[in-house]
Amino acid sequence: MFATRALGQATAHAVERIPLIRFLGKRQIPAHIDHTPLPHPASPTGSLPANFGNGNTHTTFSSYRDSAQQHGPLRKSIGAQSASRLGPIEPPQGHYFDRNELPERFRRTPLSAAEIEAIETGGATLFG
Amino acid sequence: MLAGRLIPRTAVRSSFRKTSLPTVVSSVSRWRRGYASQAEEKDLVIIGGGVAGYVAAIKAGQEGLKVACIEKRGALGGTCLNVGCIPSKSLLNNSHLYHQILHDTKGRGIHVGEVKLDLQGMMKAKDTSVTGLTKGIEFLFKKNGVEYIKGTGSFVNEHEIKVALNDGGETSVKGKNIIIATGSEATPFPGLDIDEKRVITSTGALSLDKVPEKMIVIGGGIIGLEMGSVWSRLGAKVTVVEFLDQIGGPGMDAEISKQALKLLKKQGVDFKLGTKVVSGDQSGETVKLEVDSAKGGKPETLDADVVLVAIGRRPYTTGLGLENAGLDVDERGRVVIDSEYRTKASHIRCIGDVTFGPMLAHKAEEEAVAAVEYIKKGYGHVNYGVIPSVMYTHPEVAWVGQNEQELKQQNIPYKVGTFPFSANSRAKTNLDTDGMVKMLADPETDRLLGCHIIGPNAGEMIAEATLALEYGASTEDIARTCHAHPTLAEAFKEAAMATYSKAIHF
Repeated sequence: MFATRALGQATAHAVERIPLIRFLGKRQIPAHIDHTPLPHPASPTGSLPANFGNGNTHTTFSSYRDSAQQHGPLRKSIGAQSASRLGPIEPPQGHYFDRNELPERFRRTPLSAAEIEAIETGGATLFG
Repeated sequence: MLAGRLIPRTAVRSSFRKTSLPTVVSSVSRWRRGYASQAEEKDLVIIGGGVAGYVAAIKAGQEGLKVACIEKRGALGGTCLNVGCIPSKSLLNNSHLYHQILHDTKGRGIHVGEVKLDLQGMMKAKDTSVTGLTKGIEFLFKKNGVEYIKGTGSFVNEHEIKVALNDGGETSVKGKNIIIATGSEATPFPGLDIDEKRVITSTGALSLDKVPEKMIVIGGGIIGLEMGSVWSRLGAKVTVVEFLDQIGGPGMDAEISKQALKLLKKQGVDFKLGTKVVSGDQSGETVKLEVDSAKGGKPETLDADVVLVAIGRRPYTTGLGLENAGLDVDERGRVVIDSEYRTKASHIRCIGDVTFGPMLAHKAEEEAVAAVEYIKKGYGHVNYGVIPSVMYTHPEVAWVGQNEQELKQQNIPYKVGTFPFSANSRAKTNLDTDGMVKMLADPETDRLLGCHIIGPNAGEMIAEATLALEYGASTEDIARTCHAHPTLAEAFKEAAMATYSKAIHF
């Protein structure tokens, strides 16, 4: 009986129109995606520049060094001269580094006039 | 009580520390290297809080990325929300209502008394809409944990962005990933100085303080026609000067464009097609334009109180310091990207108006979501063949997919089906029957290739065509889908019927 009903339904569906749109099931993420750079679909030229996507935005090592940064522009400070040319890291005998040579945040906090006065009077002005 | 009298701790500490500095080392020393503050590193830094940038920021927040968005305008939403799509739609809608009340009530059994324009009130309504929406994005930023940095960003190097803060001062932010979404600006017209008062771009056209007597629009594209429509409805004598022989820009189907031209002319807008602007003079009381036919030989002088320059938009990268990140732009100033929105430096991506593709807000939004998905999941999706366009004049014009002239040019066979709104019951009852729906389909497979609508609500109706095109539907699929009666959408269904077989009501 069920077989007859199924056959009947199948016959009925056979003459039904099948839409061009079909449900493909849940969206699947491909297991492997190739990330090789390809031209953008809306790119007017349909091509990529020659050195695109090789992980390096500089054509020469020299141009990289020009823009490289490490505590400021690399070429202008660190790396501008070889370490041996800069001499030893230790200060010469009897020489000391001044704290004021360091960046501002490492320097002494400037004193206000009231603080200076307080120090000079041993704190007496604060209680006057 | 004593607490208020104590010397600050820092002062005491520094006051009583012993210092012994008999000789100071010379200034040329390895000790003089910089001790720059380390910028905080984010998973994603977005430069630009326009439609592309803010959508990317929200999406990134939703995906769990630590994200910062830099925007210099002081309000989120970019051109679209602040000086583009949104304010123009406010003016288009309200100017249409005003025009309809003035000219289209008697046939509807409505008699109105004196109708007066309150331009300041109309502008206020526009500003209220804009403010509400921009504040809404700020709320969404907070909701999704996006750090909003108000300032102008520029690349220091490939990973660090310096921000000149709007409130003064400077900060910097580092990003494992960076998205450039700096948008576009109106292209100026050579020889005319944009003062946003008499020679204006679309930005100025949104905030004129009075209705000009005469207005010339240079450029018959979507922006020019929309803003021309607004001021024409409010009482200006508008003349559109267009270099090409067709209005609406390159994507608009020629047949639809002709209908739009006819209807806009009927509304009182003048057109000078196939005409180029040779020079301009804004020194006098009115702005004078020397125009000539595109081929030459028909010089003429036009004058107007206001000239709207609407010849297109160009990518905006000024002050971005692209060179510090080693990035390239093409001959039209667009940042060069690959199919995954990566620039030459693969951790820097670029989306929206500043790169390839049509300069449309919804295209930018799609790209924003896709770019963040590429960062987070490794895949994303934008179908550049299925991006709808809408011109919000009255009637509206909307299209998606290929137009007839493109198909002819590419020798692609096609069949056409059309249905006029004059045969649609809802359009009849609305007394708004100008326009038609036109469909183009593959003659063999019946697959929809393009859809072009001019008529009431075309901008909403095009969504159905976009969905059909994205799914690869046939016109028969559309035609056999039940549409509610009486609706304007039935015209869409009937156009599909006309394409694969025959329309019932025409």
